[in-house]
Amino acid sequence: MTVSGVGSVSATMLQSILDLRSQLDNLQQQLGTGQKSDTYAGLGLDSGLTVSLNAQLSALSSFSDTANTVNTRISIAGTALDQMASFGSDVQGALTPNTYDPDNNGQTTAQKTALADLGSFLGLLNTQVGNRYIFSGQATDQPPVDSMDHILNGNGTLAGLNQVISERNQADLGSDGLGRLAITAPSSTSVALSETAGAAASPFGLKLTGVNSNLTGATVTGPAGSPPGITVDLGTTNPSAGDNVTYQFALPDGTNDSITLTATTASPAGPNQFTIGATPGDTATNLNAALTASIKTLGQTSLSAASAVAASNNFFDDPPQRVNNTGSPASATALVDGSATTVAWYTGGNTTGSVRSTATAKIDQSTTVSYGTQANEQGIRTVLQNIATAAAVTYSPSDVNGEARSAALNTRLNANLSPPSSVQSIQDIETDLATAQTSIQAATTRQQQTSNTLTDLLQQVSTVPQEQVGAELLAVQTQLQASLETTAMLSKISLINYLPA
Amino acid sequence: MSLTQALSTSLTGLNATQTALSVVAGNIANAQTPGYVKKTTVQVETAFGSTGSGVEVTSINRVLDAYIQAQTRTEQSGASYADLSASFYQQIQGIYGTPGSAASLEGAYNNFTSALQALTTSPDDPSAQQGVIGAAQSLTQQLNTMTTGIQSLRSQAELGLSSDVTKANDALQQIASLNQQLNSAGPSDATTAALEDQRDSYIEQLSQLMDIKTVKTGNNQISVFTTSGVQLAGTTAAQLSFNAHGAVSPQSQWSADPSQSTLGTITLTAPNGTTTDLIATGAIHSGEIAAYVQMRDQTLVQAQSQLDQLAAGMASALSDQQTAGTAVSSPPQNGFSIDTAPLLNGNSITINYTDTATSTQHTLTLIRADDPTAQVTNASTADPNDTVAGIDFSGTPASIAAQINAALAGTGMTASMSGSTLQVLDDGAANTVNVDGLSSTTTATALAGGSPQLPFFLDNVQPYSGAITGVGSQSIGLAGRITVNPALAADPGALVAYKAGTAAADDTRPNFILNQLVNASVQFSPSSGIGSATSPYSGPIGNYLQQIVSQQAQAATDATNLQQGQDVVLNSLQQRFNTASGVNIDEEMTNLLNLQNSYAANARVMSTIKDMLTALLQM
Repeated sequence: MTVSGVGSVSATMLQSILDLRSQLDNLQQQLGTGQKSDTYAGLGLDSGLTVSLNAQLSALSSFSDTANTVNTRISIAGTALDQMASFGSDVQGALTPNTYDPDNNGQTTAQKTALADLGSFLGLLNTQVGNRYIFSGQATDQPPVDSMDHILNGNGTLAGLNQVISERNQADLGSDGLGRLAITAPSSTSVALSETAGAAASPFGLKLTGVNSNLTGATVTGPAGSPPGITVDLGTTNPSAGDNVTYQFALPDGTNDSITLTATTASPAGPNQFTIGATPGDTATNLNAALTASIKTLGQTSLSAASAVAASNNFFDDPPQRVNNTGSPASATALVDGSATTVAWYTGGNTTGSVRSTATAKIDQSTTVSYGTQANEQGIRTVLQNIATAAAVTYSPSDVNGEARSAALNTRLNANLSPPSSVQSIQDIETDLATAQTSIQAATTRQQQTSNTLTDLLQQVSTVPQEQVGAELLAVQTQLQASLETTAMLSKISLINYLPA
Repeated sequence: MSLTQALSTSLTGLNATQTALSVVAGNIANAQTPGYVKKTTVQVETAFGSTGSGVEVTSINRVLDAYIQAQTRTEQSGASYADLSASFYQQIQGIYGTPGSAASLEGAYNNFTSALQALTTSPDDPSAQQGVIGAAQSLTQQLNTMTTGIQSLRSQAELGLSSDVTKANDALQQIASLNQQLNSAGPSDATTAALEDQRDSYIEQLSQLMDIKTVKTGNNQISVFTTSGVQLAGTTAAQLSFNAHGAVSPQSQWSADPSQSTLGTITLTAPNGTTTDLIATGAIHSGEIAAYVQMRDQTLVQAQSQLDQLAAGMASALSDQQTAGTAVSSPPQNGFSIDTAPLLNGNSITINYTDTATSTQHTLTLIRADDPTAQVTNASTADPNDTVAGIDFSGTPASIAAQINAALAGTGMTASMSGSTLQVLDDGAANTVNVDGLSSTTTATALAGGSPQLPFFLDNVQPYSGAITGVGSQSIGLAGRITVNPALAADPGALVAYKAGTAAADDTRPNFILNQLVNASVQFSPSSGIGSATSPYSGPIGNYLQQIVSQQAQAATDATNLQQGQDVVLNSLQQRFNTASGVNIDEEMTNLLNLQNSYAANARVMSTIKDMLTALLQM
């Protein structure tokens, strides 16, 4: 503002006193607030810089919040995955060596361990961080897995794992317990083993993969034909004692097994032996009976175990595969989509893309980490499926084949719990998450440094050092005092004061 | 008789001294009176017969440096202008808040983007969703409040103009009446000098309000003109009037056309009855009035426009959907077709085509503007390179096609409408033009329309589509009306659910919103004073905000600097004026001593003559 001169006091002098006064007020405010100014204009050329620094710092702070949130989620997921992996090892340990000790409910000690671990495993999959189910992919508002009771025993009309295993068992064994194979005698001296017409093209039962024979004088053909068959024709000569024939089979879970029948002179013959009869025709009859008995035993042991493994695989598939149930399961010829009739063990979200991408976080201007997990990922599913299979199967104490079946199943589960490195394991998921966490760590460190630099810069442009303000305040105060005193002195120097009264 | 002559002579001396004494007394008494100019007496010798001479005070003069006075008046106008501007800019700065505080515009915007960042990490978290809504509401409230602040400053300017016009009229009346009094007054005496002092003081008051020129004419008259030469006062005064408008809103605009103007203008009515619009003729360049007009019609309008552009940028960035046309062929012609049904007023269709003769690419933008009075020009889009046409889509397909063909005239392309589908084809065999593409920009109006775009912000309760009507663009004053869509506020889950069955943690929409606000480049209209018509400012919304704040800060700093400079000039002029024309007590005291001595000496002469006469009589 401008000031008109008053009397002998110079207008310029008054103006400069007012200016000094307003400087003093400004400095006082700076000292009080520590801020250079309370308006953008007061920051001068730095006003634009202040806005951009504030925006950058705000963004960095958001990234830091994101990093914290995501770190928490990944850490909790990592802990859960660690425990899941340890449940896998725990069950694997319990399954070896094979101890067959079924209790009244038909469960062995190893199975009880599996059952307990299954409950805990499902509990881990339902882990929440905040209200977020971390193993549900994008459907974080839904628990990823159903309850253990529903999974094992079914839910109302929806079948559980137990029922799926039982139906598959019937389908694999067939009504006669021969693993969907037929044994016939095309001639008096021959024994023919063939897949039944309905089962040949189906995934069920035993599949013939080969035959080896050193039976003296015998003609062995196959597996050939449609449906595939193996024929052993003894011809006109009896085999010698110790000669044998080996039938090789593929089982529903992809494993192989074989039956070797050895010719013996003992009568009755032991298991997997056949008595050399008086004529090749008699021997063929004995071979036929021995083959039938051995296949039935195989059905109760390896085949049943393999069937349970395959059934479990069907149950955990998406969509679940069920034995075509229009007639009796024993005569089923195909697997069908069972989603409408089977408990869905996985209730979380499914993605068409990468599972990790179901949860992403921008942790830097240009860096996005993916850390989504789904309970139906192969690594988790493998462990869950094998623990559930171990827990689901029961043994009757009176079953003579129980122990062998248990051994066959345990061997398979044990092998399946140690998948080849080409298949995803829980450790692979943990590695992915650890990589994400490492990226976050790196970004956080980088941002911390940037943030420090920017904060320093912001301090420089928007705040004032107390010492500097203090010094300036003193200087201005001195100047103002001097000006005021001079003005007062000058105002006294007037002729009026020196004229005689 | 020479003794009596000497007596008469000393009597004139006593009279002259008394007059001079009263002038000194007047000077001392008025030493602190504003506008008082130091007076001096003019004495001349008078002859008495052959031997004697007396003294006479012929006039009382004002000690005035007319050059400095004129200079001071000019600078006075400039200083008043600068003072008022600086004070307004300081108030505008107040509206922008304290740097870095949450209550500032940038603080509100940063909080909003932070909340969005949190939402992208936890789309399924209701508190994160609520956080975004809350931060967005703070931001819109901030924009609303700032708009109210800017408009109240405009209203303040309108009132200021009104009161300044009253003051100016008063000063003009006084000047005219003082001119009349001085006309009839005789030669310069104490009264004349006092009247002149008063007249100068009124002229100074007037020069604070506006820039003026004064012309001194004969007979002690001063005529006052505007710098452009319109006479304001002589012996009669012109009458200024101001038709103040009470309510000032962002839509209020001054216009030279009185029927269009929604703000007051200053009308000068000359004594002969002719009227002049002083704002329309640009007669006032300086002083408070010019500052008020500048603030009301330029500075504050631009500040509002910046906020409006920001609000429009945010609303459009989140709601605008681009749809590409479908290629169609009608041999030998080729082209594209697109559905025009979703177009709202303000939405547009863009036709890209190549002139094959020169191989130059062109862009033609068709804006839906159903209001026939709407002014759609090339400046209606921020893009400097496109040709823009307004199309009324409310009529029949045939009328729409006719309008579009009119817009396509000369390009070689032809348009046809089938139902709501627009088809644009090239000229086939002639091959002078190729249609490169056809696309539409529409405003999403549904929260779960299947695309990440959403009507996040509304213009009160209407979707913001940038509609152009007879009263201007929808963007004018948007910052004062922008709200967070109430449907979204009632259901924050829609921040994530962009279609039926969206997974809880689907971050598609949160990522889209964040990206649009933080990274996406938006083109801003140059009407806000940032960027130019040929190269409009284009960048992320956050950077535009930064531009606004620093531009305003810079303008305020400049205004303060101008004010300080102007004050220095004015102060030094006033100092010089005071030195020359002001009362110096010491000088007056010295004069007083001299006059006292002079009076005593004259009295001594008289006393001596008396003694001599007595001696003579006693002889």
